[in-house]
Order: sequence, then C-alpha cells, then structure tokens
Amino acid sequence: MKKALGIIGIFTAIFIVASVFGENFLTGINLMQLTQRASLYSILALGASLVIVTGGIDLSIGSVVCLSGIMTPWLLVEKEWTPMQVIPTVLAVSAFIGLCHGLLITKLRLQPFLVTLCGLLLYRGLARWLTGDQSQGFQGEFEGVRSIALAKFAIPGIENYRIPSTVIPAIVLAVAIGLFLSRTVWGRWLLATGRNESAARYSGVPTARLVTLSYVACSLLAGFGGMLFIFDIGSAQPSDFGNFYELYAIAAAVLGGCSLRGGEASVIGVLFGAATLQVLRNTITLVGLSSQLEFAVIGTVLLVGVAADELIRRFSARRLERLGART
Amino acid sequence: MKKLISLVALASLGLGLVAASPAADLVAAQKARIAAFKAAPKKRPHVAFVSNGVADFWTIAKAGAIAAGKDKSINCDVTVEFPGGGLSDQKRMLEDLVIKGIDGISVSPIDPTNQTDVLNLVAEKSLLITNDSDAPKAPRLCYIGMDNYDAGLMCGKLAREGCKGGKVAIFIGRLEQDNAKRRRQGFIDGLLGRTPDATRYDEPSKVLTEAGYTIVGTWTDSFDRAKAKANIEDVMIKNPDLALMTGLFEYNSTLAVEVIKQQGKQGKVQLAAFDEGADVIAAIKEGFVLGTVVQDPYGYGFESVKVLNAFCKGDMSMVPANGMISIPARVIKKDNAEAFWKDLKAKIKAGKEGGSKDAK
Repeated sequence: MKKALGIIGIFTAIFIVASVFGENFLTGINLMQLTQRASLYSILALGASLVIVTGGIDLSIGSVVCLSGIMTPWLLVEKEWTPMQVIPTVLAVSAFIGLCHGLLITKLRLQPFLVTLCGLLLYRGLARWLTGDQSQGFQGEFEGVRSIALAKFAIPGIENYRIPSTVIPAIVLAVAIGLFLSRTVWGRWLLATGRNESAARYSGVPTARLVTLSYVACSLLAGFGGMLFIFDIGSAQPSDFGNFYELYAIAAAVLGGCSLRGGEASVIGVLFGAATLQVLRNTITLVGLSSQLEFAVIGTVLLVGVAADELIRRFSARRLERLGART
Repeated sequence: MKKLISLVALASLGLGLVAASPAADLVAAQKARIAAFKAAPKKRPHVAFVSNGVADFWTIAKAGAIAAGKDKSINCDVTVEFPGGGLSDQKRMLEDLVIKGIDGISVSPIDPTNQTDVLNLVAEKSLLITNDSDAPKAPRLCYIGMDNYDAGLMCGKLAREGCKGGKVAIFIGRLEQDNAKRRRQGFIDGLLGRTPDATRYDEPSKVLTEAGYTIVGTWTDSFDRAKAKANIEDVMIKNPDLALMTGLFEYNSTLAVEVIKQQGKQGKVQLAAFDEGADVIAAIKEGFVLGTVVQDPYGYGFESVKVLNAFCKGDMSMVPANGMISIPARVIKKDNAEAFWKDLKAKIKAGKEGGSKDAK
C-alpha cells in the first residue's frame, strides 16, 4: 500500500483540479465513462505489472489487443462463428502467444525486449493479413455479447451513475492478482524471481515456470482487454487499433509502484495509475485545454507528480533517520 | 578583392536559386520525358497507387486501380501500396518504388509540406501525380480527386440545413494533411454561411461564434479510436447542449453514431457525417444522421492508373490547365442511401478480390 501512496496522491490532486476547473466533471455520466475507460486500461496494466514484477517487459500488449480485438468481430461477422466459440478461441490464442513468449525467454534465453518487440510486429501484421486490412465491426449486431463491456448496473438511490460492467473483471482480476502476490507461495516466489532470479533459482524456486506463467497471464489479459475494447468501441482498423497501448499499460504499472527492475508491485497502485492517465486526458478536454497539448500536459503532470513523490519519500526517510539518531 | 569575388559569387548563386524553382524544373523535366514517350511509348507501363493509410476507403480505390490496369483500353501493371505506419512508412514505400524503377506513381501525400524530398525524388526518377490529398507546391503533374474545401463546404451546408443553430463540435483524425485542413475549413465556412474562400483558416483551438452557431472546438486523435470515442464523450459531457457534431474522417463519424446510440441522444444531437461507414449509412437510413458526404475512391484509383498510363504513351491531353482532374464528392441522404450502399459493397468486394498488391 505504501508504494501506491504516491500515485494515489497524484490521482487525488488531479481529481480535485478537475472537479474545480473541469466543466461537468463531477456529473454521473462523466464519472461513469471514466470508470469504464479506467477499467479497460487497468486490465492491460494488471497484465503488464505481472511481467514487470519478474523484471521483464512486454512490448506486444498493443498488438495482442489489436489481434484479439480484430479477430472478435472478424470471426463473429465474417466467419459467422457463435460468441461461445469466439470468446474461448480468442482467449486461447492470446494465452498461446504468452506461452510462446515465456518459452522463448526462459528456454531459448532470448531477451524479453526482443521477443515481445518481434511480437509487436508479428501480431499486428497477422491482424492486417487476416482481415485484408479491412476495418472490422459488429455492423449493428451482437448487442448481447457486446453488453459484456457495455452493460451498466444501477445503484439503488443514485440516479445518474451506473456501474459499467467492465469494472467487474477489473476488480476481480485486481483482487485475484493481489491475493496471488501477497498470500500465495507462488506469488512470493514470483516477487523473489523478480528481485534476484539467480538467488531464487538456487533456492529451488521454479523461476522458468513462473516467468512463463507471467507472460501467459499478461498476453491473456491483453487479449481479454482487446476483446472488451472492441465490444466498447464497436469497430476497429487493424493498422492502428491498440497502437501504443503497451505504453499506457507499462506507464500505469510503473506509476502505480511496480519497479522496472522487478520484485516490486502494488495492485492498488496499478489501478490508480491507469485511472490517473484517463482522468488526466478527460480533464484536458473538460478544462478546455487544446487537444494538441494533451501529451505535453500528461508528460509534465506525471513527471512533476513522480518527482514530488520521490522528494517527499527522501525527505521522510531523512527525517526518520534523524529522529532515529536522536533516540 | 578575393572577399568581393566570393560575395558576388554567393549573391549570384542565391539569385540563381531564387530564380529557378526546383519544383518547376522537375515538372518541366517530367513533361520532357512524357514528350519523349510520344516517339517511343512504353509497351506495358508499370504504375503505382500509394494511399495515405489503411482504410476501407483505400480498398475501394485499390479496386478502381486494379480494374483500370485490366481495362483493355489501358492495360498496364499496377502496384498498390497502403502505408500503415504513417509518414515514414509512406516515404519508405515511395523510395522502394522508385528503386524498383516504377514508371509513374499516384500518391496521397500525408504531409506534403514536409515531404518535399521524397516527392522530388519521385518526380526526378519517375512521374508524379497526387490523389485524394493534393501537394500543390510539389512537382506533381496533376491532382486527381475532389477539392476537399468544396467537400467540406457540402458537409457544412448539409449541417446548416439540418440544424439551425447552437453548439457545434468538429472531430477529425489529424490536421497535418492538406485535405484535412481544407475539409475542416470548408465545413466551417459552409455551416456559418460565409462566402467561400479556400485560403481562409480558422485556428482549431479558437471558439467561433457566428451566424447563430458556436463552434466549440476541433478535436484530433491521431487515429486512436478509443481516444476518438473518448473525445466525443468528453465533449458531450462538457457541452450537454451540443446541437451538432461532424466527424470529418470516416471513423470519427462511425464513432459519433456509436456514442449517440449509447447515450440515447438520437435526434437530440445532429450529425453531419463524412465518408461511407456502414454504421453511418445505417443511421442515415434510420433517420438520426443528417447525411454524409462521400468521395469516389474507386474513381481516384481508376483515373490515377488511366492518367499515368497515358503519360507513359506521351499523352497529357487529359490534364486541364489548372492541373486538377476533378472527381466531385456527393451527398448521401435517406433517399439515396440504400442504392449507394449496394453499389459500394460491390466495389469493396472487387477490391478484396484484387488480392495481392501487384496486379498484372
């Protein structure tokens, strides 16, 4: 929880600024839409955090989002498969991608950066080839299956805000990953692997299996996220769908307290990291800043926030040291 | 004395550079090559059609280009390239085509102002024409397409007919392209009932209040659809009284339809659309979208190949004095939506069946 305090602080500050200066920021519908977006990106970020915990990186998240997101309407509309066939197939393909990454990294000892960079190119290329570069959409059908991402649940007593359905998988996954990392032997082993792989291996930890598992989970969540994104958006073009989403996922995970050196993670931090990026984007529009400034504003605010967090940590650490020396 | 000579030499070099525009020289050189083809025409030219991205729009254009290659009166080899990676990808493709020794290229430049080098290279080694989005300062022999300002004007007038005033928002993929800038300006001028002037430019970040309308802004998304959807949702939150919006790229309009439906705002927020997204056409038929302005990508592809083939035979007679071969846009409304959709589907099918990027 301590690791997440920084990002919670940044999130709170942005939220307050948005509430004061952003027109209609605190309306139910805006908060509902923000919850939806934060949940979607959280699912990708949770997957990314599992790989980052091992000291690895997955650059193919955006392309897996693209492949799964494009495959879903393509199989449903063009190939006329049923949703019951499509969903397991897409998830299995995503998990298989992760398995390939894991095996290439652990058995062939290839660099995660290289393996997933090649994946980034490969899966987007596959998506473009499969569909002949055609944009894929549901053509006004499949409302039922799309409700997986579009349904909203009313809260008794609250009129304008309904909980988007994507919150459910995001929360379930966050709780599961949180419990896995903090309450299970395998979770502790995963953290130990990230902190010092050699030491963990010599201690009898099945590091190769754990690293492979983390890549499977990451790609599976990217595939699942891609499916939810396409259910939400309705159509996508294989050449650009999911572009740079790996960066949003990695940024959310790192902002949330995952160390790129491995061995550290905070599930709550990751959720806040993903939400912060979305609230910031929303704030830029509602405050009325030029959309051309978006990336500059996001970069500046996050950099200032993270630097302030680091300075506060150092200041507190020194203060504790001084207090310790006195007593 | 030496200094004086150097200064004079530098000055004359500078004057020489000013006097002879490289673009004009390259156009003249291309025309000279075409004139030479009159005496020795290319037997079976190989020409290329290069898009500015990947979209259904370009698949239809590809169908047109391939059909032209197979047309008995034309009969040439055609290569179609869709750059999926933006400016750098398009540059690489153009350079590769030049290396391949292609006879002529029709390209839709992504950022003509900053693509001078590669466009000059094409003009130097091959024959350069532009389609869909023009590069008037580049050494191109002609431009095939519609005037994007006029098309924007049509969209603006469509919006003005269907919505008599109020807040208006503009959504577009990016503003770097010449066609995007002109289309947006045309829309604004058409909506506000101004006297048409293609040289006018309203800053995207400026709020415009005129003739009973308030244009609250222009939002870009760099082709990120999740971002494009979020833009529409956020603008509707900020402006609950939004009367009208326009999506000036195909997917902007498609996503606008999606958001309107999701928020149950059919009939409350009007949409003047651009291009032929399936959901947009369905929404026009349902009656909650005013209409859409469509181009003729099939015509762009067909005419591009036809013109380049003629050049390789030494014939430039089809190029008018202003250098623009016009293929006008048209407005699709509820009454002609069904017929348009049937014709479009047939063309997309033909484009898909075109298969490989090289058609012989």
